[in-house]
Amino acid sequence: MLGGLIQQLLDGLTIGVVYVLLAAGLSVIFGVMHVINFAHGELFALGAYFALALIGPLGGGTGFFVALLVAPLLVGVIGVLIERFTVRPLYGRNPLYHILLTFGLVLVINDLIYVGWEPGSVSMPIPEFLRATVDVLGASYALYNLFIIAFGGAMAFGVWALLEYTKFGLIVRAGSQDRQMVRNLGIDIDRYYSLVFGMGAALAAVAGIVLGGYQTVSPEMGTSIIIPAFVIVVLGGLGSFKGAVVAGLLVGIIQTVLRTHVPILEGLVIFLLMIGILLIRPQGLFGSEAHDDDGGELLTGTGGVLDSQTRTRLAIAMVGLLALVPLGVGTLYSPYVVSLVIEILIWGLFALSLDFVMGYTGLVSLGHALFYGTGAYAVAIVLLNVSQSAFVAIALAVLVSAGIAWFVGFLSIRVSGVYFAMITLGFAELFYNVVSRLEITNGSDGLFGASAYYGVAGVGVDLDSIAIFLGSVALTGQMLFYYVALAALLGAFLLTRRMLQSPFGSVLKSIRENEQRATFLGYETTVYKRRAFVVSGALAGLAGGLFTLNTGYATPSFAHWLHSGEVIVMVILGGMGTLYGPILGSFVFFGLEDVLTDFTARWRLVLGTVFVLFVIFLPQGLVSLPSQLVPYLSGGSSPETEPTPEDPGFGGDG
Amino acid sequence: MAVETPRQERDADGDAILRTDGLVKQFGQFTATDRVDLEVERGEFRSIIGPNGAGKTTLFNLISGALPVTDGSIYFAGEEITDLSPPERVRRGIGRSFQISNVFGGLSVRENVRLASQAVHDDEYTFLESLFKPTDRYETMNADAERILEQIGLADVADEQAEALAYGDRRRLEIGVVLATDPDLVLFDEPTAGMSVEETQATIDLIEEVLVDQTLLLIEHDIELVMNLSDRITVLNRGDILAEGTPEEIAENQDVQDAYLGGMIE
Amino acid sequence: MISDSESHGSRRQFIKAISAGGAVGLTGLAGCIGDADDVNDNGSGGSDTVQYGVIEPLSGSFSDLGEERLQGTELAIQQINESDEYDFEIDYETYDSQSNASTATQKATEAVQSEGAQYLTGCISSSVAIAVNDFARDNQVVYTPGAAAVSVTGENCNDYVFRFETSTAQIAEVMAQWTADELGDQIFYHIADYAYGDSVKAEVESRLSSISDSYDEVGTTKSEFGSTDFETFISQISSASDEADAVVVGMTGADLAIFLSQAARRGLGEEIPIVTTTASFQPVLQGAAEGAYGVYSGVRYVPSLETGDNQTFVEAYQDEYDAMPDNFSRVGYESIRMVARGIKEAGTTDPTAVKDTLAGLEQETIFGSNRFRECDHQATNPVWMGECVEPDSGEVADVELLTELGGEEAAPDCETTGCEL
Repeated sequence: MLGGLIQQLLDGLTIGVVYVLLAAGLSVIFGVMHVINFAHGELFALGAYFALALIGPLGGGTGFFVALLVAPLLVGVIGVLIERFTVRPLYGRNPLYHILLTFGLVLVINDLIYVGWEPGSVSMPIPEFLRATVDVLGASYALYNLFIIAFGGAMAFGVWALLEYTKFGLIVRAGSQDRQMVRNLGIDIDRYYSLVFGMGAALAAVAGIVLGGYQTVSPEMGTSIIIPAFVIVVLGGLGSFKGAVVAGLLVGIIQTVLRTHVPILEGLVIFLLMIGILLIRPQGLFGSEAHDDDGGELLTGTGGVLDSQTRTRLAIAMVGLLALVPLGVGTLYSPYVVSLVIEILIWGLFALSLDFVMGYTGLVSLGHALFYGTGAYAVAIVLLNVSQSAFVAIALAVLVSAGIAWFVGFLSIRVSGVYFAMITLGFAELFYNVVSRLEITNGSDGLFGASAYYGVAGVGVDLDSIAIFLGSVALTGQMLFYYVALAALLGAFLLTRRMLQSPFGSVLKSIRENEQRATFLGYETTVYKRRAFVVSGALAGLAGGLFTLNTGYATPSFAHWLHSGEVIVMVILGGMGTLYGPILGSFVFFGLEDVLTDFTARWRLVLGTVFVLFVIFLPQGLVSLPSQLVPYLSGGSSPETEPTPEDPGFGGDG
Repeated sequence: MAVETPRQERDADGDAILRTDGLVKQFGQFTATDRVDLEVERGEFRSIIGPNGAGKTTLFNLISGALPVTDGSIYFAGEEITDLSPPERVRRGIGRSFQISNVFGGLSVRENVRLASQAVHDDEYTFLESLFKPTDRYETMNADAERILEQIGLADVADEQAEALAYGDRRRLEIGVVLATDPDLVLFDEPTAGMSVEETQATIDLIEEVLVDQTLLLIEHDIELVMNLSDRITVLNRGDILAEGTPEEIAENQDVQDAYLGGMIE
Repeated sequence: MISDSESHGSRRQFIKAISAGGAVGLTGLAGCIGDADDVNDNGSGGSDTVQYGVIEPLSGSFSDLGEERLQGTELAIQQINESDEYDFEIDYETYDSQSNASTATQKATEAVQSEGAQYLTGCISSSVAIAVNDFARDNQVVYTPGAAAVSVTGENCNDYVFRFETSTAQIAEVMAQWTADELGDQIFYHIADYAYGDSVKAEVESRLSSISDSYDEVGTTKSEFGSTDFETFISQISSASDEADAVVVGMTGADLAIFLSQAARRGLGEEIPIVTTTASFQPVLQGAAEGAYGVYSGVRYVPSLETGDNQTFVEAYQDEYDAMPDNFSRVGYESIRMVARGIKEAGTTDPTAVKDTLAGLEQETIFGSNRFRECDHQATNPVWMGECVEPDSGEVADVELLTELGGEEAAPDCETTGCEL
């Protein structure tokens, strides 16, 4: 029994040490630069792949140790370059922008791994002598695991000593407490950023190499470890090296012990732990209470160059144009266009729902796929088990999503900024884990074959068996559903726009502008934010519900964090705080993806690069493009936006 | 220029609108306010002065609820408010004026004032109306806002974005916003910081003009200004009250002169 | 107006019908359109083109398998187009499913509606394949999935889905029989906690308990899908090794490769025989490297088979790609060939007709004589048990076949599949 326990402890330490190496860099990068670095996992994978490339010609003996030294240095240099050319232009902006940036970098680096190496997992050769097993208190134990603990421990100790006893370390530590204060002391802390970023990257690479030898090396290793790494950083306290160490080891050990004794909790425990700790200690275990939460600039899109009348006309023209889409089927294009635009409209609705909280109250929900997934599963479960009425299913989906949003909001909104993002991510991951296991959601496969009619109590129509004839064009099935989706999006847009003109919406805008000030006007901002979150959750649930209504299935992947990331990308891409920008973002996202996948298998590389360029050069999103272009076009007299026939200025003096 | 303020005449009923009782705030080892007992009469113009680090801003933060107290209690209009949230204190009548960068820059001037007025007139709408009925359809709060815009002289620029206003106009807007929250007591944290002599005078005139019925509590570095305006002055030093009295008493107080004034007035 | 019980309409037929008609007004039609085939088809004479949509996970965690399967598919298409045997040509577009059900159905829609595909093939993970299953039924296109999950030709089967991939049920049959004969009936299970792992356990368990009365489950451990750390489970398996005759591992892909290398490092194979479903896959063998030595595995395919025209396939594959084919390339390859023979036999490229011809059609395949059964459209592939052994050169293990189970014996009884065709 004791042997078993020691075994588990050692197993937990092995993985815990890897977590520590990964989380330490991530935490310090956040603490000093306020960068939420999603690409950290990819740097981790890159380390392992560089090591593979070095071990190849050198062999598993000396090669392994050479790789352990050289590969992290290479990755460190890449880290420095990333900081110089992509992260640096973003300092002073809200950490939100780093999500878009590093999300783009994830796509780029991950695709580069596919370019450079074979897909699939490969084993990393490790030195012969490390392959032996040793007896530790009666249990046999792989020597390599002990090596990981010893080597990783030494690395962590080295980093600690560096932070504790050097001038560099002193500045970094001070910087993660209060950047401004360090600047006030006359230290140019910005110069140290590259170095910190490079060091974090190198540490991640070390973690990738030792873990690669322990498991295997695969292009997906980065995406699968980044979320636990974030959780550990938050648990320990952002910016706290001590926190990263304690939380990393803690999570490693708890995971291992639970795996043996309460296996059902294994996937859930780190998220439960994170949510629990954040609720009790919002700053994490070792985070400093007075973190300078300057937030940074949130760049919301503005109306730009068009006056409101023109904008209304443009909007009506756009809706009219969208309404015509199904009519061109068969003559102008194939029905596929309709299915594609349906998906875009649904995601547009999803993005709009996120914009309502993110763009108007500044709450960055990194778990919005939770509500999308809830809506989808609610519709599937209702259609398969309760009623085939689409109205009943959608109504329940919206209600349940709103209820869950209220609950999540009730617990989460008291924490702010990055912590809110992480806590919502935690809830979404819990949901993802739970639906992957439950009987009623059919586990990891998901639910299939749900069909619906449009009506209640058995009276209604099936879109597949009715048709609307307009001249020579007949609308049925998908094409009718198209109008359902369009109506839902339009309805949601008008609803949220109306809300923003109401007293409630005014308060939301004031929260975005300056929450503290709103408080001192007498508003309980928490209450308003929670209400906004409920509205947003309900609309996201509507989006997910519509998707399932159309396709007839729901799978756990709907609630995956990548979905949450994608929808944030759409909002920022289009321009947040505008309601219509995110819809535009959805069109561009899917349009780009659709076009790029036809041209190249390496479309992620291109898409990622587009995101990176976007966030650097057009941070206010596509909606700001016209006003950005004004200076360049000011010579001409024609209007600088898409001219419409109704626009009085159209045609100019040309 | 010893101006006789009209406030001294209104100092009739003599009841305390604000009272703090042994107020303590500690940040870790550091004690920012150390058992502060403050009493402000209704209708009074009270200034709080003291060197940097004396605890003035901390005291404001405690009164407005921005910081939780470590120990002690706060009474407003006879009721304890120590554990109330900041918005609740605002609704009870404690208004707080900020540095001017604190107006909602992205919103219009009218919207800034109307937001404040909306918080006061929350009886004008039901829950559902608050979600769906556009703000321009509420009579009382809009009339209120327009009246205040006239009062502060910004009615002409009401549709401008607040961040586009000139410095002095933003100052006026800031005062208008506080006024719109319908306060009984207003906390002013250095309202004239960084202003020219003319701007300072204009600001003071405006305060005097529109905040006639309110009790004013002011933090100010400009001693001359304080001496001219205040009914009474409280001097803080190292988190504690060093002296309190009329401007004349304070000017003559030896402790104050030793500890503070001597260093401040060249 | 229709009621709850109304069945799925047939979308494609319907669109054709109404575009031919062109009446005006809102009409409530409940599936009474009649057969509207051949509104757009040019009949079946001469040099027809068969349009294929090939949807594979070309990015994400199954991308290596997707690439491999695609190579088999392309080889078959190339051979058919060069051959005089067929009076039609196959044209195809390739799509990336990203291992994601919604992307896969989106791409399937694009293939069918934009490119006019009447045949689909591909997809490896079960939930993606099941989503495309439903899509194929709704759109009346023939689909040959690449997933091994039992339900693809079980409860989620339909008229339009034909599977050449060997089902987990078939593999479980040979594993159960061989394990009971050679190792014993006291079994410890370790499975990944998702649909695949659960189905491996259920299938092996039901067969073992019908083979042997004394069958007993010694214990079960479950790891998360996508786990990378199996030390705990290895310890638990190790401590049960006195009681258990074998550990049956219900995992595949990276999970299995990592498990095997960690188990080998702890010397688990010396304590208890490790029986797996898919250790014979090349990607697993490569990932596990030395960890695979001595591990037993159900075998769906190895290139060395002398069955049917397999050796001709292997040669052609090697010529084309300079690599040995593996399980997924042979599935891609023969899926296309079997469907092509069905089209030839039916004399039309219309999938509705082809699906009727294809069910039960006896044909020569790389496994010898084979067919898609009428009752569930599952190919009656033979299955093998194998051992992964140290190779003569290199690191990646060779697979040595131990026993074979014929296609008819391996296939589950039609009554038990859950498929109602």
